[in-house]
Amino acid sequence: MNPTFIDIKEFRQHMENLRRKGMDFLRDLIGMDWGDEGLGAIYALENTATGENIQVAIRCESRDNAHIPTVCDIWSVAELYEREIYDFYGIIFDHHPDMRRLYLRNDWVGHPLRKDYDESEALNPIRMENESPEDVQRPYEIAEEAQLKELAKQTNKIHGDQYIINIGPQHPATHGVLRFRLALDGEEIRKIDIHCGYIHRGIEKMSEKLTYPQILALTDRLDYLSAHQNRHALCMCIEKAIGIEVTERTQYIRTIMDELQRIDSHLLFLSCAAMDLGAITTFIYGFRDREKILDIFEEVTGGRLIQNYNVIGGVQADITPDFAHKVKEYCKYQKGKIKEYNDVFTNNIITQKRMIGVGVLTREDAISYGCTGGSGRASGWACDVRKRHPYALYDKVDFKEIIYNNGDCYDRFLVRIDEIKESIHIIEQLIDNIPEGDYKVKTKPIIRIPEGRYSAAVEGSRGEFGVFIESRGEKSPYRLKFRPMGLPLIAAMHKILKGAKVADLIAIGATLDYVIPDIDR
Amino acid sequence: MFDFSTITTAIDQFLRDIMPSQAALLVECVLVALCAVLAYVMFAIVMIFMERKVCAAFQCRLGPMRVGPWGLLQVFADVFKMLIKEIISINNSDKVLYNLAPYLVVMSSVLTFCCLPFGEGLLVLDFNIGIFFIMAASSFGVLGILLAGWSSNNKFSMIGAVRSGAQMISYELSIGICLLTIVVMSGTMQISELVEAQRDGWFIFKGHLPAVIAFIIYLIAGNAETNRAPFDLPEAESELTAGFHTEYSGMHFGFFYVAEFMNLFIVAGIASTLFLGGWMPLHISGFDSFNTIMDYIPGVIWFLGKTFFVIWVLMWIRWTFPRLRIDQVVSLEWKYLVPIGLLNLLIMTLCVVMGWIF
Amino acid sequence: MDFKKTYIGRVIYSLVSLTTGLKTTLIEFFTPKVTEQYPENRKTQHISERHRAMLYMSLDENGNNKCIACGLCANTCPNGTITIKTKMVTDEETGKSKKVLEEYTYDLGCCMFCQLCVNVCPKDAIAFNNKYENAVFDRSKLVIKLNK
Repeated sequence: MNPTFIDIKEFRQHMENLRRKGMDFLRDLIGMDWGDEGLGAIYALENTATGENIQVAIRCESRDNAHIPTVCDIWSVAELYEREIYDFYGIIFDHHPDMRRLYLRNDWVGHPLRKDYDESEALNPIRMENESPEDVQRPYEIAEEAQLKELAKQTNKIHGDQYIINIGPQHPATHGVLRFRLALDGEEIRKIDIHCGYIHRGIEKMSEKLTYPQILALTDRLDYLSAHQNRHALCMCIEKAIGIEVTERTQYIRTIMDELQRIDSHLLFLSCAAMDLGAITTFIYGFRDREKILDIFEEVTGGRLIQNYNVIGGVQADITPDFAHKVKEYCKYQKGKIKEYNDVFTNNIITQKRMIGVGVLTREDAISYGCTGGSGRASGWACDVRKRHPYALYDKVDFKEIIYNNGDCYDRFLVRIDEIKESIHIIEQLIDNIPEGDYKVKTKPIIRIPEGRYSAAVEGSRGEFGVFIESRGEKSPYRLKFRPMGLPLIAAMHKILKGAKVADLIAIGATLDYVIPDIDR
Repeated sequence: MFDFSTITTAIDQFLRDIMPSQAALLVECVLVALCAVLAYVMFAIVMIFMERKVCAAFQCRLGPMRVGPWGLLQVFADVFKMLIKEIISINNSDKVLYNLAPYLVVMSSVLTFCCLPFGEGLLVLDFNIGIFFIMAASSFGVLGILLAGWSSNNKFSMIGAVRSGAQMISYELSIGICLLTIVVMSGTMQISELVEAQRDGWFIFKGHLPAVIAFIIYLIAGNAETNRAPFDLPEAESELTAGFHTEYSGMHFGFFYVAEFMNLFIVAGIASTLFLGGWMPLHISGFDSFNTIMDYIPGVIWFLGKTFFVIWVLMWIRWTFPRLRIDQVVSLEWKYLVPIGLLNLLIMTLCVVMGWIF
Repeated sequence: MDFKKTYIGRVIYSLVSLTTGLKTTLIEFFTPKVTEQYPENRKTQHISERHRAMLYMSLDENGNNKCIACGLCANTCPNGTITIKTKMVTDEETGKSKKVLEEYTYDLGCCMFCQLCVNVCPKDAIAFNNKYENAVFDRSKLVIKLNK
């Protein structure tokens, strides 16, 4: 799909029109550096009612002083996406309320994804002193002085005389290195400021120098709980670009593995949500059962967490002879265990009190923030990529899209429990019918993608995982963007947290189910 | 049944023979304190090991297995580790209060521990307002926790301390009401007499419905008093990392740790004293031969058996339920436990007046 | 009025749900445990054949390997894990000079087990084995010479 370029002067008007026409879901926002043609961004939009997809691009010719009008008042999720682009490309989004770097330190020199970025270590040495907290945010405005002051007052999120605590970067409930700066009033949360980037590895930057098969190895390390799906997305995108069809057997294997990975992820979600609410026994039960999936993974792929299984044109190795038997045995086992989780945790009155009505995300907000996956479906938004844009075998199997309508923590939790059942259902339909054939199509030793823009999306374990490649016909991509599943979720955090208590933050964080390496990339 | 007071009287007599009575009293005090503290530590070690193994069993695990056979020496290894760890002093903390807090917590639990009747004549403090004393002694433990949170100059600790203040002071009330229910039934506050009154049947059987309700409420409130899940908000590790004792290290942390376990032991011990007959064997009126056989089992074993059973139940609860939120903790107390407890007290009084207890 | 929503209904419903939870954990209390006692169970432990623990070079009894020193593995590795030192050897019979492997070094500490080197090898000279107990006290011990 090629984007339509919009002139910068008409851009705001055009975007507002699109939104009015029903383009309510900003799927992805991709910062671009087109060299001499200037910097810019590509907006991938979807109409959630009709399923229509379009891409809009904007280009700004000045490299040193690139300004683009913000769209974060049209699609809320753009607030963080635009900060990311500012961080990586130095494009300033006018009227954005909070134009700070998102991932890198405030004192970082240069914008790393620009093609003219100076990588020398002298500019950005390993800094041994702490980063000074930039609480007063600078909105970039081309407006009158009075308005500017007003905006600064509103966005001055946290100030000195509030009771500020840091949840993270090292905190048991953030499940990784994410940091929330909270302003408290007693137990109640008044304001939240999110700091990401503690494990930012610059995978998108690295990819621009690696060959396509080498990039594959990095996808497992994004959201390690949807390693299969991530890799599936990238393989699909590359296969589409170089025009090869994978065999039916591969499709079967990939679909089954994707669903196993989803169960794996949801079991971990369930365990960790239980642990965050203090039910440590349920945590162990979940992990006990997850172990069985990991054993299957290890048997087939050789890895438990980093499976390294999908490759361009197929999978790394054929399934083992007893794979089907083991998977069937596991499915039978797991079905019985779901009742146990429900008995000990889900139906427990304390759990229900902690989760029902807590952290409500409305359907409108879910779409505006682009919260896909279980969190979106708990808010009543049918956002499953497997249904919206079927890939692999998902149009051939019969499965329900789990949708709940309250959008609170409990619904987010139930969606995952039901999805485990649904995934087992999908696997059971496929496992007996894996056709004979090759597990891998021969590809050229060196893979070059013809010039153009390609994108693919899969339903990862916690939302839509997208891949966007812009190629100039070389061994490595000109620009590769992964759509993070977690970033929209934490972008919606401050909306969800209205009037919540510290303990609710933990419940909300646990049920939103973000994975930090996926947010940071 | 063997009366332990014969031994203590003999020792007392012996000491008085060889020295003036004031000195004898002093020596006795030291001896008793030594025994009490030794027993305290011993039970703490047993409890920590038990908690680990019981928790593991509920979670399909084996628990510690590496240090010693079945991990028996694990606790000793842990204590050793804690002893050799540095006690870190925190910048800008209130040094006096910071160092005082763990001792306050331990002191309160040792004092309460001394009130437990391990056997006939085998209790340190026994006077006519024993129940009163237990309540008073156990409730100043919260002071230590509040001070620990306040003095360690950490916002997480502070939140934990404030939470524990709100929680423990509320739940004192329920505990008081439950104890009162039993006092109404037995008509005495002296612990030895309370146990003696259960010679012909434990209070939980004698008091039937109101006693059972009081027992359940006592277990819930006792659990909350000891800051254990589902009421472990002051130290909720997924929210406040470690709550009030975040900044403590080495043996100062060890004191909090030991005190938490011993408070559990004390709660269970009081429950077994007041509801399950203390050291009194199981007597069923009418079955004389059965009663005689039961009498052969020493009182200490009866007491410890009952106490550890209650501890096991409390651990079972702890390792099953998720944690409540602070407003739910408080509303559970004020909206449910206190009204039900008061109503229960009324029913008990009615039963006593009408003579409906056995 | 819905009984579940009344005061007494709520108390009873709560107690029932809590008891169900207690029942479940009590059953687990008596079921066999799942702990694996590593390292005591080394002998009975099952490791998948495909498990990638460490790169190795298959050697025959004389210590010969199949490597032709083409360098594809070293080139394809994203992390520069493999370094190959070659030398030119003249075949005495034919008189042609040929590149042969002198030293094949593999840095386990850098490896991310992506299997690209194994996939690319034209002679199947290298593969991954199951030796997973690789903890050492010194990073330099992770740099391993694979050929004899």
